[in-house]
Amino acid sequence: MSDTILVVGEPDGPALAEATVEAVGVARQLAGPAGTVVGFVAGSGAAARAAGFAAVGVGRVLVADDPRFDQAPPAALARPAAATAEQAGASVVVLGGTTFGRDLVGSLAVAFRAAAANGVTELERSGDAVRVRRPVFSGRATEERRLTGPRAVVSVRPHTFPPANGPAVPLAVEAAPSCDLPAALLGPTRTAVAAAAQGGGPSLADAAIVVSGGRGVGAPEKFAIIDALAASLGAAVGASRAVTDAGWRPASFQVGQTGRTVSPQLYVAVGISGAIQHVIGMVSSRVIVAINNDATAPIFRVADYGIAGDLFEIVPALTAEVRRVRGK
Amino acid sequence: MEIVVCVKPVPEAESRLRANGAGTAFDPEGVKFVLAGYDESAVEQALLLKQAAPGSRVHAVALGPPGRTDEVLRASIALGCDSATAVTADVPAFHDPVATARELAEAVRGLGKVDLVLFGKHAGDDEEGLVGSAAAEALGLPFVGFVVDLRHDAGRLRFRRSVERGEETWEAPLPLAVGLQQAWNDPRTATLPAILRSRKAPIARRASGPPDAAAGSSVAERFALPPPRQGAKMIEFKSPQEAAEKLVRLLREEAKVFP
Amino acid sequence: MVDFSLSPDAESLRDLARKFARTEMAPHAAECDRTSRFPEEIYRKAHALGLMNLNVPTEYGGSGLGLFEQCLIVEELAYACGGMTTSTIANCLALEPILLGGTPEQQRRILSPFCSAYQLAAFCLTEPSSGSDAGAVKTRARRDGDAYVLDGEKCFISNAPHASLYTVFATVDPGLKHRGVTAFVVPRSTEGVVVGKDEEKMGHRASATGSVRFERVRVPASDRLQGEGDGFSLAMRTLDQTRTPIGALATGIAQAALDHAARYALKRETFGKPIAEHQAIQIKLANMTQAVHAARLLTWHAAWTIDRGGKGTLESSIAKCFASDAALHVADEAIQIFGGYGYMKEYPVEKLLRDAKLTQIYEGANEIQRLVTARELLRAYS
Repeated sequence: MSDTILVVGEPDGPALAEATVEAVGVARQLAGPAGTVVGFVAGSGAAARAAGFAAVGVGRVLVADDPRFDQAPPAALARPAAATAEQAGASVVVLGGTTFGRDLVGSLAVAFRAAAANGVTELERSGDAVRVRRPVFSGRATEERRLTGPRAVVSVRPHTFPPANGPAVPLAVEAAPSCDLPAALLGPTRTAVAAAAQGGGPSLADAAIVVSGGRGVGAPEKFAIIDALAASLGAAVGASRAVTDAGWRPASFQVGQTGRTVSPQLYVAVGISGAIQHVIGMVSSRVIVAINNDATAPIFRVADYGIAGDLFEIVPALTAEVRRVRGK
Repeated sequence: MEIVVCVKPVPEAESRLRANGAGTAFDPEGVKFVLAGYDESAVEQALLLKQAAPGSRVHAVALGPPGRTDEVLRASIALGCDSATAVTADVPAFHDPVATARELAEAVRGLGKVDLVLFGKHAGDDEEGLVGSAAAEALGLPFVGFVVDLRHDAGRLRFRRSVERGEETWEAPLPLAVGLQQAWNDPRTATLPAILRSRKAPIARRASGPPDAAAGSSVAERFALPPPRQGAKMIEFKSPQEAAEKLVRLLREEAKVFP
Repeated sequence: MVDFSLSPDAESLRDLARKFARTEMAPHAAECDRTSRFPEEIYRKAHALGLMNLNVPTEYGGSGLGLFEQCLIVEELAYACGGMTTSTIANCLALEPILLGGTPEQQRRILSPFCSAYQLAAFCLTEPSSGSDAGAVKTRARRDGDAYVLDGEKCFISNAPHASLYTVFATVDPGLKHRGVTAFVVPRSTEGVVVGKDEEKMGHRASATGSVRFERVRVPASDRLQGEGDGFSLAMRTLDQTRTPIGALATGIAQAALDHAARYALKRETFGKPIAEHQAIQIKLANMTQAVHAARLLTWHAAWTIDRGGKGTLESSIAKCFASDAALHVADEAIQIFGGYGYMKEYPVEKLLRDAKLTQIYEGANEIQRLVTARELLRAYS
């Protein structure tokens, strides 16, 4: 495999999606000090999005500034992306593992005649192969796979890798090569987009990070500090049964035996004692953090990290620190 | 409409997860394989479309050793699929998904004219979710995943797609390949008489072909359950700010869970 | 050669029953027990899925299952709720005399319309003064032209309050004792059929049980099963078939009690460790496990014997008696393991004891089962 890694850019309005910036960080690590990361963007306004690559240190960007891709399925980018990877001399393609990226990985793997993996949480070069680790069975186990062969396509789980952070470099845009793209692949058309009813924030079912509040939060109006921490982390908000029973949040927020089971990368339990009925719903999370002012609370037995303190002081401090670290 | 649903046998939800002796792969010994959850929705969606367009047929396809494929194909027939094909391949449960996709595409190609190919969003075991998009490319079909509420109306499909920021509305001509997240109804339960009939239903068989050697492969190397939790590492702090800083640093550097 | 494993066909039936039991029945079991509610919507779903009328041949709209497969299903349903299972399988009991004693014309005429839509049937043998002594029924059937006039009262009849069809055992001549007993099929709509209220019971409270009075009820001779005086034998042959599924029902209750107790014992801590690590609890759990395994295997063996054409009277009387005694004992021990919590209605085990008790009484009280067993045993030596 060569040292050139291609990152496929996902559009987010006029800019690049955050998941793409995370993918750049991953690609840079894979490429190593001697390797190169090249970007690819498709759709109208692609040239403007290409600037997003340069801002985080990817100077060479191949662009298919073609309105046909604007409302087309992500999977339709397979052949253009494969042709681009060939042109750029890349043998590995990395994408953010969003709905965009996950729809594209399979078709790209076939178009590029590559081995593939979706939603990886760790990866590394290993001789002439790429080794990946990913969660399986709803996070109850992990597997490691070796992608052998000359080419590989990988999507990385969002919010798992740090986003690339520059330094910015000058942008050199090239036209992406043309390829045989049957009109049929562009047949499906997106006609409208409706923002999520709950106004932002990932859904509990898919979120990579969940912040849950329990009885310790004390009152419904104080739940705002949970929302703020979740927003800073890009996390979904959950709740213990005590909270939903009391009506502070709707039942759909309940994590636990009679609510939802979640298995995010990170679960932050705030003011939750750790009764078995709640723990059953979140114990397969990869990392569990507990914040509770009772150091003997059972939650600390299942958590990986614990802070025994006043959540009304700890949580805002944590929110501020996360914002600082994420540069917001 | 001629509809094909590709289904995968996966370990049933309550299965005890174990690695094989070498720790390289999931150990299927003693595990019961059932229809994957999202595949149940895909079958349900296919059957709803069939009901709405009389004269339509639904064909189920699965890949794997007969001991795994036959039960889920019979379950699909019991639910209402008209016919089924088992692609015989002596592969492990966590097989290379791109190779699987190529085989399924070959099997679908062998079925003649097809209007719609449905896949579940992902299988509950490996959760790769890339077989649908890969098989579609191998078949030269357009593919849209994360589909919710798929409807057919005079030769065109209308559906929604569930994405991070909300929901998209889509329209597509036939033929199409779809990764289904949710049908417009909950999956039905097969009745006892249908189950009894499905036990005697014929299943077409085809052998799998040689893999595409030039394409490389994805090989399982390790399968591991997380070590049992030992109890929290309690963070010592003199101020809330110190607690926050220490926690964020531990999450980034030690736990490698980037906040 | 024997084979104790289930075929894939059998497993698929068991899985259907298990899924229905866990998703449709179990969530409502406690509420129906508390309020004594008859969950008609659940019974309708059971019918729609083919889980009622298990013993009726498919040509008449039933599921046409052998006894072994019926037992697999019944155990799964009873694991979720004994009462709901009783009402679900009460149809099998009521329709069995028609299967054993009806002419092809009667079977077609009665069974096909009955099975095609959701409805319930009830087996009417027990009376206020005759339960075990089934030959002593007092309900009279007087011949009148080409019909019979029935007078009498049946009580403790499962499904009676909601049934549309009754299989009734009456006597044409009390002097003939059991040789006068005759079987009839009586639609509820017949004039003179008076259905009593749903009785308040110790357990099986999701099942409706009540009396049925027959006041000069006219039954055409064409609705008589077999001949005059054949009824007692028909009832006994019916019970030969239905005894075994009761063993399965009891096994389901016992398994549920064992599962609850074992899980609780692993969580509850006393004297510094889970009670499952105390010998006293381990001995109890071991005894309970022995009982459940034995109950299941005796039931399987009886079902297997009968499916292969054997009469199975010995095997089924053993299975029903042992399994129901086991269910009572296992439920009792489960409560003991739960301690104070077991005594609270908020926890699921006390219901299991109340449900288990009925299995020792109905479909042939265990005392009678022992007499049957003794008789069958001694016959082998003479």
